[in-house]
Amino acid sequence: MNPSLIDILLRPDAFFSRLATENESLKIPALIILAGGIVAAIHGFLMGSLNAKMMAGVMPGMDIILYLVTAAGALIGVFIFWILAAGVFYLLSLLFKGQGSFNRVLAIAGYGYLPQIAGSILTLAAAIVYIPKITVPVLTKAALTDPAMTAEVTQALMHDPAMRELTQITTLVSIVFMLWSAHIWIYGMTHSRGLSPRDAAICVGGPVVLYVLYMTYTLGVM
Amino acid sequence: MKSHLFLTGICLLLLTGILPGTALAYATPESIVAYGHVFVSRAVYDPAVFFSGDHGTVTVYVTNGNGNESVVVNHAIIGDKNIRLTSNSYETSANIGPLQTQPFIFSVTADAVEGTYYPIFSLGFRDAESLYYPAMVKIDDTPLDISVIDKPDTYTPGKKKTVGLLVANPRNNNVTNVALEVTGAGITANPERIFIGEVGARAKVPVNITFTPRQETAVLLTLIYNNGDNPHRTTMEIPLVFRVDKKQANPVMSNVQVSSETGVYHVTGDVNNAGLETANTVMVTALAPAVPLDPYKTYVVGALKPDDFGSFEVTFTAEPGNTSIPIELSYKDDDGNIYRSLQDVKISSAGISAASASEGGSSNLLPVAVAVVLILLFVGFWAYNLKRNKK
Repeated sequence: MNPSLIDILLRPDAFFSRLATENESLKIPALIILAGGIVAAIHGFLMGSLNAKMMAGVMPGMDIILYLVTAAGALIGVFIFWILAAGVFYLLSLLFKGQGSFNRVLAIAGYGYLPQIAGSILTLAAAIVYIPKITVPVLTKAALTDPAMTAEVTQALMHDPAMRELTQITTLVSIVFMLWSAHIWIYGMTHSRGLSPRDAAICVGGPVVLYVLYMTYTLGVM
Repeated sequence: MKSHLFLTGICLLLLTGILPGTALAYATPESIVAYGHVFVSRAVYDPAVFFSGDHGTVTVYVTNGNGNESVVVNHAIIGDKNIRLTSNSYETSANIGPLQTQPFIFSVTADAVEGTYYPIFSLGFRDAESLYYPAMVKIDDTPLDISVIDKPDTYTPGKKKTVGLLVANPRNNNVTNVALEVTGAGITANPERIFIGEVGARAKVPVNITFTPRQETAVLLTLIYNNGDNPHRTTMEIPLVFRVDKKQANPVMSNVQVSSETGVYHVTGDVNNAGLETANTVMVTALAPAVPLDPYKTYVVGALKPDDFGSFEVTFTAEPGNTSIPIELSYKDDDGNIYRSLQDVKISSAGISAASASEGGSSNLLPVAVAVVLILLFVGFWAYNLKRNKK
């Protein structure tokens, strides 16, 4: 791995102070996001098998389409997340009179996503172990017209013991690596937008902590 | 008037002259001695022992014991108020040759209650006084007896059972045309009538009856027989109360496992026969709301002997929301009766979550706590970091 990428994970302050002196480039951040998207797509492909089983009674023979749609959704979702995160950081930094372009914020959001690739690989491994153990209820055509029944089926899937454990592991791993990303983003925002560490911590920590709290809440009510 | 008196006088003279002359012509001392050798050798009743009210016959055998002299009888009759004569008496002259036996047959009716009776047989001789003979006969109302000597422990609906009976004749005479009829509401007997034939005095005959009950009832056994030509019957009831057959086959499902693949549920498991009889044609299938699906819509395990076991697999689909599916286990006994039992099998964890909501809640506490700790560590680290930088 490029030593500078190691710096992102372990010495983000030094990495971003050096990056601030260089020209803006989204090449590496985009590659990081793409890598994260590919891992997420593979994870989505596996999770798509659950959807395919659930929909087998409604759309027989459509398994591969469901797999591809889920995988593509995960891939695109990572890119959307990248842009949304950068947008939120950028807008919040405006409150603290932050300086610098959106592209630079986009770049630091991309670099900061690096820990989450590791998290995605871990959750992918967990999915490979747990998905075969999950009992998937089958959705029929009649049930598809009844939203209550559809919700009930989804609930049944989510309450499967294997599915529950997989969700817990995935959520905790995601929280850990999301906080790691937030740690990186705070340093990135400090250098890219000329914010004080306190303001940068508020710009990044605020939405990230809220997001993580939401994840914790969903974990609790599951 | 004078002519009438003359004729009457002539007749009286003739009568007084003829009749004493005739009697005196046969009732000689020799004839009296000869008639003294005439005797009743035996009297046979049919039936040998009567029921009260029975009709029958009595045959009285009269033997002329004279070696070279015939006797003439001109009147024979039997009966009294208990053993009533229902046929005509003998009113014609008959000759019984030397050392010959002449039967006199009468029809009689036993009008009395149980006991021993002696109706008098009277035989009038032409040349001597009459002969009187008490012909003993018994009236006995003891019927034939049915005893149950072997019966099943329990009766169950639709299951053929055999009961061992003993038909006994406690009477002192044979009975004929003995037959046993098996009837009852809600039972099928095979055969319904068993012909036994003749049963001797104080004899017994074992009989097995087989029937299949469909409801709790009483089996009516009717023993029909003839005492002579008189039909009689004896009845007996065997109450049928259904209970659990302690020996019947008892297939039990165990090691049941559910898996799901592309919306098709596979239920596998074992069937053990925990009973004492063989379970034939053991079959396993899923019932509504499940929709059985190939390749194992119905799984035929086959015959299971006691303590034997076999594996099964059934495949089906089910509407969403169904947390459990009834799995039917059926088998046949030796008579072809089908027995069914159901066992609910959970096919999704929805039921589990409903049943163990509190368990689910508590199992989430640990990851939530870990998540909160992580957030606090992150916030605490940065609060400390910022405070240190400020200084």
